[in-house]
Amino acid sequence: MGRMKVQRTLRARLSEDVAGEDGDDLVRLLSQVARGDHQAFEAVYAELAGPVYGMICRVLRDPAQSEEVAQEVLLEIWRTASRYDTEKGSPAAWALTIAHRRAIDRVRSETACTRREHNAATDPGNREPDDHDVVADIVAASIDQQRVRRCLDGLSVLQREAVTLAYYGGYSYPEVSALLGVALGTVKTRIRDGLIRLRDCMEVTS
Amino acid sequence: VKPQPSELHLLTGSYALDAVDEPELEAFERHLTQCGSCVTEVRGLRETAARLAFGVAVPPPPALHEQVMAATYRTRQLPPLTSRPMRPERHGSAKRRGSVVRPPGRDNRGRRIKILLPVAAVSLAAVVALAVLQVRTHDQLNTAQANQNAVAAVLSAPDARAGSGAATDGGTVTVVISHGRDEAVVTAAGMPALPGSEVYQLWLMGPAGTRSAGLLPAEHGGRTNPVLAAGIRAGDRLGITVEPAGGTTQPTTSPLIEMPMPA
Repeated sequence: MGRMKVQRTLRARLSEDVAGEDGDDLVRLLSQVARGDHQAFEAVYAELAGPVYGMICRVLRDPAQSEEVAQEVLLEIWRTASRYDTEKGSPAAWALTIAHRRAIDRVRSETACTRREHNAATDPGNREPDDHDVVADIVAASIDQQRVRRCLDGLSVLQREAVTLAYYGGYSYPEVSALLGVALGTVKTRIRDGLIRLRDCMEVTS
Repeated sequence: VKPQPSELHLLTGSYALDAVDEPELEAFERHLTQCGSCVTEVRGLRETAARLAFGVAVPPPPALHEQVMAATYRTRQLPPLTSRPMRPERHGSAKRRGSVVRPPGRDNRGRRIKILLPVAAVSLAAVVALAVLQVRTHDQLNTAQANQNAVAAVLSAPDARAGSGAATDGGTVTVVISHGRDEAVVTAAGMPALPGSEVYQLWLMGPAGTRSAGLLPAEHGGRTNPVLAAGIRAGDRLGITVEPAGGTTQPTTSPLIEMPMPA
C-alpha cells in the first residue's frame, strides 16, 4: 500500500510539480487525516517527512534535535489537519511553514541545546531504512534538488545569499543584513526580488 | 517610527521565509488583514519556500516514522473550525487574524492534549480490531481479543510514552509504555523471519530480574500485532532474544536488542 503510493508519487513527481497532482492528492489525504485516518497519514508522511526533516536539518544542523523537531511538526500535521484550508495554499506549503517556524523557534530559543536523554539512548545507530522508499526518495529529491539549484543559480549573488541565509540559515532579515553588511532595506528588497524570481523559475502556481 | 504601508509590502518575501521578528511581525500581520495583494503574494512566496525545502529533502531516520505513528495513536486531533458559518453572532475575533495566512505553528507548543476522550479510545479500539482481523487461527483470535482492551488502555493512557530501537539483525522495535499502569505495548517491524522451530521472545530485564514478557507474533504486512507486556518494574529494560518455539523461562541467547523504556 505504502509502496504503491511511493511509486505513484514518484511518477507524479517526475511529470508534475509538487503542488500540482500531488497537491490535489494531499488535499484529499489531509481531509481523511482530519477524520482520524491513520493510513492516509502514512501517505502524507511518505510525501512530506523528507522535505520536513531535510529542511529542519539544514536549519538546526544537529540530527538529534532535528529529529525531535520533525517529530513535533509531523504530529502537529496529524493534530491540526482539520484546520488546513486550501485558501491558505497547498498542503505542502502549509506543512513546511509549520516546520520552518518550529525550526526557527528552536534556533531563537534559549533551550536549543537541551536534548531528551532517551533520544540519545535509543539513537538509531546502524538502522537501515527500507530500500525501496529510500531509492524513490533519493530520485525524487534529486529532481527537486536540480530544479532548486538551477533556479538559485539564476539569482544575483546578493539575492541568493539573502534568500538562503534566511531560509536554510534560519536568520531574520536584520541578521542577514548584518551578516552581508548591507542595509536593511536592501536585504528586504533582495529577499523579495529573489523569491519572486525563484517563484517564476519554478513556475509556482498559487 | 511607523513604517509606511508600501514599506511593509516589501516584507512579503522576508515574512514568507519567517525572517521577520517582533514588533515588525505584528505590524506586518496587521497590514495583511487589509492588503489583499500582500496576502496573494505571501501565499505564492510560501509555495516557493516549500520548494526550497523539497530541494533539500532527506529520507528521515526510520525511528522518526515509528515515533510519529505511535504518537498519533495517543494524540487527539483538533476539531474543525465551525464558528464562521454556524455562529454569526461571533465575528472579528482575534483568532481570525491568524487564519489569514498563518498556520498554527507557533502558538500551540506545549498545548498537546493529554487526555484522550472516548472518541479516540473508540477509534483506537477499531484499529486494534483491524489488526485482530489479520490473525488467522481461532485460538489466536481469542487471545488477541482478550488483549485488545488492555492494549488500547495503554495506548490511550494519558502518561503513554513511545520509543523505538533497532535490533542488531535488522528490524525496529517500538514500545509504548504507561508507567502508571506498569504496562507496555510492543510491536516490531522488519525483523528477519525465523524458521518454525524458533520464536522471538520478549524479556523485561532489570533489578527485579529477567522475566518473560511473551512471544512476538509473526509479522503481518511487515509488522507484528501489538504484544502487551505487564508488570513492568522500575529500571526494567526491554530485551528480545531468539528462543526455541514455545519460548523459555530464561534467555538462552544474547539479546538482539536491549533498550530502556521510554522515560
